Formats: sequence, structure tokens, C-alpha cells
Amino acid sequence: MSAGTVSSSPAGWRLRLSQRLPLVIGAGILLFFLLLAIGAPVVAPYDPILQNGATRLQPPSLLHPFGTDNFGRDLLSRVIWGTRIDLQIALIGVVFPFVIGTIVGTIAGFFGGIVDALFMRLIDIILAFPFLVLMLSIIAILGPGLSSFYIAMALVGWVSYARLIRAQILVLKNSDYAVAAVSLGFGRFRIMFRHLLPNAIAGSIVFAMSDAVLVLLSGAAVSYLGLGVQPPVAEWGVMVAEGQSFITTAWWITLFPGLSIVCLAFGFSMLGDALGELLGVHE
Amino acid sequence: MSASVLSVRDLTVKAHLQGETRTLLQGVSLDLAKGEILGLVGESGSGKSLFCRSLVRLLPSSLLKIEGGTILFEERDLTAVTDAEMLKVRGAEIGMIFQNPTSHLDPVMRIGDQILEGIRYHQGINGRDARAAAIEILAQIGFPEPVRQYDSYPHELSGGMRQRAMIGVALSCNPQILIADEPTTALDVTIQAQILKLLMDIRDRHGLSIILITHDLGVVAQTCDRIAVMRGGRLLEQGLKRTILSAPQDPYTVRLIHSHPSMPDVALPAVSAPAPSRAATRPLLEIDDLHVRYPTGGSLFRGKNARTVGALSGVNLQIMPGETVGIVGESGSGKSTLARALLGLTPISSGHVSFDGIDLFQQRNAGLARLRREAAMVFQDPFNALNPRLTIGQTLAEVLKVQKKIARADIPSRVDELLDLVGLEREFVNRKPRSMSGGQCQRAGIARALAVDPRLIIADECVAALDVTIQAQIIDLFRKLARDLNLTLIFIAHDLAIVRNLCERTVVMYRGEIVEDGRSEDVFSRPKHPYTAALIAAIPDIDPDRQLLGHTDAASLEPIQSFKRMP
Repeated sequence: MSAGTVSSSPAGWRLRLSQRLPLVIGAGILLFFLLLAIGAPVVAPYDPILQNGATRLQPPSLLHPFGTDNFGRDLLSRVIWGTRIDLQIALIGVVFPFVIGTIVGTIAGFFGGIVDALFMRLIDIILAFPFLVLMLSIIAILGPGLSSFYIAMALVGWVSYARLIRAQILVLKNSDYAVAAVSLGFGRFRIMFRHLLPNAIAGSIVFAMSDAVLVLLSGAAVSYLGLGVQPPVAEWGVMVAEGQSFITTAWWITLFPGLSIVCLAFGFSMLGDALGELLGVHE
Repeated sequence: MSASVLSVRDLTVKAHLQGETRTLLQGVSLDLAKGEILGLVGESGSGKSLFCRSLVRLLPSSLLKIEGGTILFEERDLTAVTDAEMLKVRGAEIGMIFQNPTSHLDPVMRIGDQILEGIRYHQGINGRDARAAAIEILAQIGFPEPVRQYDSYPHELSGGMRQRAMIGVALSCNPQILIADEPTTALDVTIQAQILKLLMDIRDRHGLSIILITHDLGVVAQTCDRIAVMRGGRLLEQGLKRTILSAPQDPYTVRLIHSHPSMPDVALPAVSAPAPSRAATRPLLEIDDLHVRYPTGGSLFRGKNARTVGALSGVNLQIMPGETVGIVGESGSGKSTLARALLGLTPISSGHVSFDGIDLFQQRNAGLARLRREAAMVFQDPFNALNPRLTIGQTLAEVLKVQKKIARADIPSRVDELLDLVGLEREFVNRKPRSMSGGQCQRAGIARALAVDPRLIIADECVAALDVTIQAQIIDLFRKLARDLNLTLIFIAHDLAIVRNLCERTVVMYRGEIVEDGRSEDVFSRPKHPYTAALIAAIPDIDPDRQLLGHTDAASLEPIQSFKRMP
């Protein structure tokens, strides 16, 4: 129905408002958190780890907009400083699995046969274990800390990306332009990484955005269990965990870091949706 | 012909886009008489489908609105009735069938039940009577065993039978008007002839009126009573079939009629007229007892008893340098497999393919290296054949860079040259396939093939997806290129008329074998094999006096499954 479709402008960048809005909101939220992370020393009104017995468990006030926790630390400052750690977790926790998974998936899908079978069985084995159990055992072996968390994330998280890309490559490698590339004498790596991958990757990018949220939450979960970020460093997940015992008396300790996680997650998912539209995943 | 059942006056449809309003249908007026078949002809984008969808208010997007005009049907104006009333009109009064039956039939519902649904809902018959009526319809639309086939699912049927089933579903509501949107475009010629005959049959039996949308004037000439020609949302002319075909008024109609490939009188000279003396030169391509088999049903644990299906069985063919060879056959006959096997894209089971004296089976690497530098392919679907992320300039430059036949510095100028060769403006260097039309994409695909600077081009159904006027342009381009660049061309098509026009030699394939091979004139005027004769007889000729023949012969040929659609 060529008559019915709205033809895009030659550049394809002029978008309708309904498409542009999520992009603006998502990118805006992420930019806001990024600026907050960079400017934390300037923006934060107090030292995030300085304990003060005189100001324990104060509800939100003009002096402490987010209130204080059981050690008398200013929660607003802790949330602001926590942005640094949490953005880092979301970023590194996604980038490594993304890169590893994409390369493995492309190779498995393109070559097929025994290579594909080996990688796919490996993925099956990894998927056979509950995600968190596998993560925790790897971290337990490597010792607690953020870098162990990143390594564990890379070792476990790549499987979803590999499967996603492989499925795309399997379809695309039979497309006419891939066959044309073979018939024109192009090398395998050129076909894989210049012709197939750019057309296959859009879905993964969108998935990575929603995965960032999951990574953030597993980072919080791991920290909650004492294997990730170590106190007294400010991290949203740890802060939520710390507030748990005061939830009935001092709700603000849990609420504000929790809200921050929700906001960042919302920003990522909006950006993911917008990128999906932009990269033509839904076409 | 009695009074008209449907009368459309000044129908105007506009699209409201951001900031602009585009008129898609402009004041179209048409009448449809009872028991009449009206052919609606035009290129894609001419608004012919949109017109028919407007009749039942099934506009493809909410941005489109009917802005003016009336659609009088049984003394009601369909533009004014409520949505609830419209629901009764759709199906019950006006039925529709579409080009692609596969996507319009419910894949998890038995064919019989899909027909039954219409009978129950629109005719109010229930239980055993309804089932009997459904079986009656199945028999009418040419299912040989209606009682058994009532329980078939769409995937168990061939394309032709699916289209019959679609017609059955439309008939189940007992409509007065049937709108058939390109019902035979996706089908082979012999099947097309059967479906067209069925439509005429139904018209005679039920006395319903049919609007047949098509781009093939041959189909119109064979089936319709009147013709309406559309272009750019306007109705250019309408009239009785014979009047329009013999004395078209509008210049566009004239062009459309002349670009119809079955016009036998304007016999253009076949490409390289004096065939090179065959004894002297070595064949460029030599195929000897070629077999290609695909495994089916085997798995990791049942590897030994895996069965195979033969896609090509014992093909022998010799192609001389400079020849233009057409390979014809229905879908599933092995044409595409042959093309891919020739280019080393499909593994050969047994036999020999040698390109310029190098055997592809024995000296695989040397042969392939040679082939990649001297042969290129043009594909069927112009949009799918180009990498959507690269601009045309990048696509062409990459080929030149990889092939290393010219210096890097010369690449941009060579890209311009290639665009000139295929008749594209130079500004296409920066365009991506998405912003181009089918014909433009196909030209870019040909330019990419030419970038190899090949001796051999294999074109696999490369005009099947294009409109007739564009088809004619692309064929002309091929003719010119083959002559100017001294190319050897293997042109695969299911459209025999095109092959007769373009190729000096024709090879007919049927079920993985070559059944006929000879000069095009001989093959088309004096076919030796009965299959060739049936194929030729099934081409709808633009001359209404040449009746569609061959449907009886063709019916005896069993449907064959295409390997392209196998997993």
C-alpha cells in the first residue's frame, strides 16, 4: 500500500512528534543523571559518608530535602553521589555482555554447523542455572566488589545478546543482499560485520536499553547481599537495603533512592523505545 | 447488461499528513453493471486498490479520509451509512479477494470452517445444512474432493488452491459484488488461467459483478467486459474492452498497451543477431548432468535415513559467450536453483559445472575466484537485494574496492559511470534503497552487477516484482547492456512473453529438468514438449479474440513444491 504509507523524508530524521517525544524525554533523563554524576561534588550539599549523630532519622525538611538516614547522613547528597556508581554499573554491566554476545552470536549464526552447536550448548548450560545463583557463585570465587560484579555480568549476561543476534543473522544471511555479497566475492568478515551486523543490531540496542535496567537492579541485589558495592559508599540499591529496617518509621530512606532507580529505568526504557522507532526495529 | 448495481460519483480521498494534504483519489466516477466484470488497470500507486478499499471503507490508515463524492449501492450512499450498517455490507454484499491468499486465510482454521463461518454469519444457515453448503461451494470452486478437503489447512494447499479457497470464503457470504485485487499476480501462468476461468464461471453461475484489479492487460483482455484505466488517483478513461484496446484515447493507455510484453508484432530483433560460430569458440558455461539435492526430514540423530529431494536432476546446458538465454518454468521447476548452482551459491550433489573451462567441482577455489570476478547476479526483489544501510554510492564503491580491478582513486568516477550506464541520476550516489522506487532499486542492483565488470550476468526473475511500464524499461536496459558491453545474459523468468522479447534462445524447465531448449522463435512457435505448449497457451494475450487455451492440459500437471519456500 504505497499510497497509504507516510513517506519519510530522504534523510529519514524528520520524525513525527509521537516518535520524537520519547527520545527527548529518555535522552533528557539520562543527560540529567549524567550531569548529576559529573557535578556531584558541586551539587551535593553535604558529604555523603559523613556521619552525624545529631541529625539521625530526620524526615525531609528544607535543610535535608530527602531527610537523613540512621547515621545522620544527608540522603540527597547520598542519592546524588550514588548516581556515579549506578550509571557506571548500568553502563559497564551492559557494554561488556553486549560486545561479547554480539560477536559470538554473529559468528555462531553466520558459520552455523559445529561452531553454532558448540556456542548454543554453552548458552544452554549457562541458562540452565538461575541467573542470580550463577552471578553470586562467580562473585564469591572472585571476591566481593564491583569489579567482580562486572566480570560476573560479562560472563553471564552475554547469552541473551548472543541469542538475539544469532536469530537475526540466521534470517539475514539468506537475504538477497547477503547472497549478492557472496556472489560478488566479498570476504566472510566483510559480509558478517559490514553487511549483516548493521542490519541485525537494532534489536539488540533496544534490548540493551531495557537490559540496563535489569543490570541496575541486579547490581542493587548483589550489593544488598553484601557482595557488590561495600558500605559506606553511596549506591541506590544499598541505600534501599539499608532503609529496609526503618521502612515503617523512616520511609524516606527507602523511597528516594528507589524513586531514583525508577527514574533512571524509565529514562533507559524511553530511550530504548525511541531508538527502536528510529532504527526501524518495528518495521 | 442491466442497470448498474454500483455507481460511484466523484469519489475523492485525501491523506492528511503533518502540515500537508495529499489527494490520493481525485473525482473518480465509475459504474458497475450487474453480472459485469470490470477491469481496473494501473501501476502500483495509481490508486486502484485504494479505490476498491474506499468502497467498503477499509482505508489502510486513519490519516486517509473520504472527502467527497457518493457511492450508490442499492439506493444507499455508502459514504453516509453508519459503521454498523457498513459491517453488513462488507462480505455480505461486497466480497473481496486479495493477491496473497496465504496471509489472508487463517492458518490454524480448516478451509471448510472458514467458508462455513461466512455462511453461518451472513446467510443464517446452521448445522448440517451449512456444512453441506460449504462443501457445495468447495466443489464449485474446483476442489476435486470437497468432502475430504473440507478438513485441509491452508498450508496443505498449493498457491492456486489457496486462491480458490479465498474465492470460496468470499462466495460463502453470497455477495453481489466481488472485488478481486490482483488475484493471480503471485501465481504461475497455468494456474492463473485456471483461476481466471473460475472467476468467469462464478460470474456466469451467480450473476455477480466483479471488479478485477490488475496490472496485466492480458488478464483484462481475456476476462473483462469493460476496462477502466487509472493513474495517479485519477480515472483516465473507461469503456468497453475492445474499444479501449483497439482505440485507446489517453496517451498513457497507449503506452500501457504497447509495453505489454505479449505484443507479437513489434518483434524486436533478438540481441546478438548473428550467433557466434559455435564450433570455433569454447562455451563460457558448460553444465553436464547437474544434480542438486536437498536433505529433508533428517536430523542429528536420524542422520543416516535422511531423505533428499531433488531440485535439479540431470541438467545439461552449454552457453556460448555473448548469448542471451532465457530460462522459463513455473515456480518449483528449479530455475533459481540452477542459477545459484551456476554461481557456486548452492552445493552441487553431482555433475559438473565449468565456467570458462574451469570445473567448479574439482577446482573449487580457482573456479569460484574466477566466477566471482567475471559473473554477477541480479535478484528478484529489488528492495531486498540491496543492503538497506548503505547508500547506492557506498554499495557500488565497495564492489569496486573488493574486486580491485581499478585503482582506488578512480572509484568515484567509475561509480558515476555505472549510474549513467543504468540510467540513474548521479545524485543517487547518496540515496538509500528505502527512499527509492522498485524500478530505481532494480537499476541500482544492475549497476552493482555491472561494477564487477562481468562477462556473465544471471538475472533471476528480476522484473517479476515491477510494474509493466517499468518492466519494459528494465528489459530495454538489459537489451542495450547486452549489446553494448557484449555480455552473456542468463535471464530467468516465469513470464514467457518477456523471455520471447529479450532472448534469442529459450530453455524450458519442468520439475528440475530441461524439457526444451532452442531458438526462442522455434520454441514459441513450434513447441515440441507438451508442457511448453501448455505454458504458452496459458499466457493471457492482449488480443481478446485469442482465447485462453490450455487450462485442460495444464490441469493434468500436478502442482510442484518450490524449494525456495522450504525451511
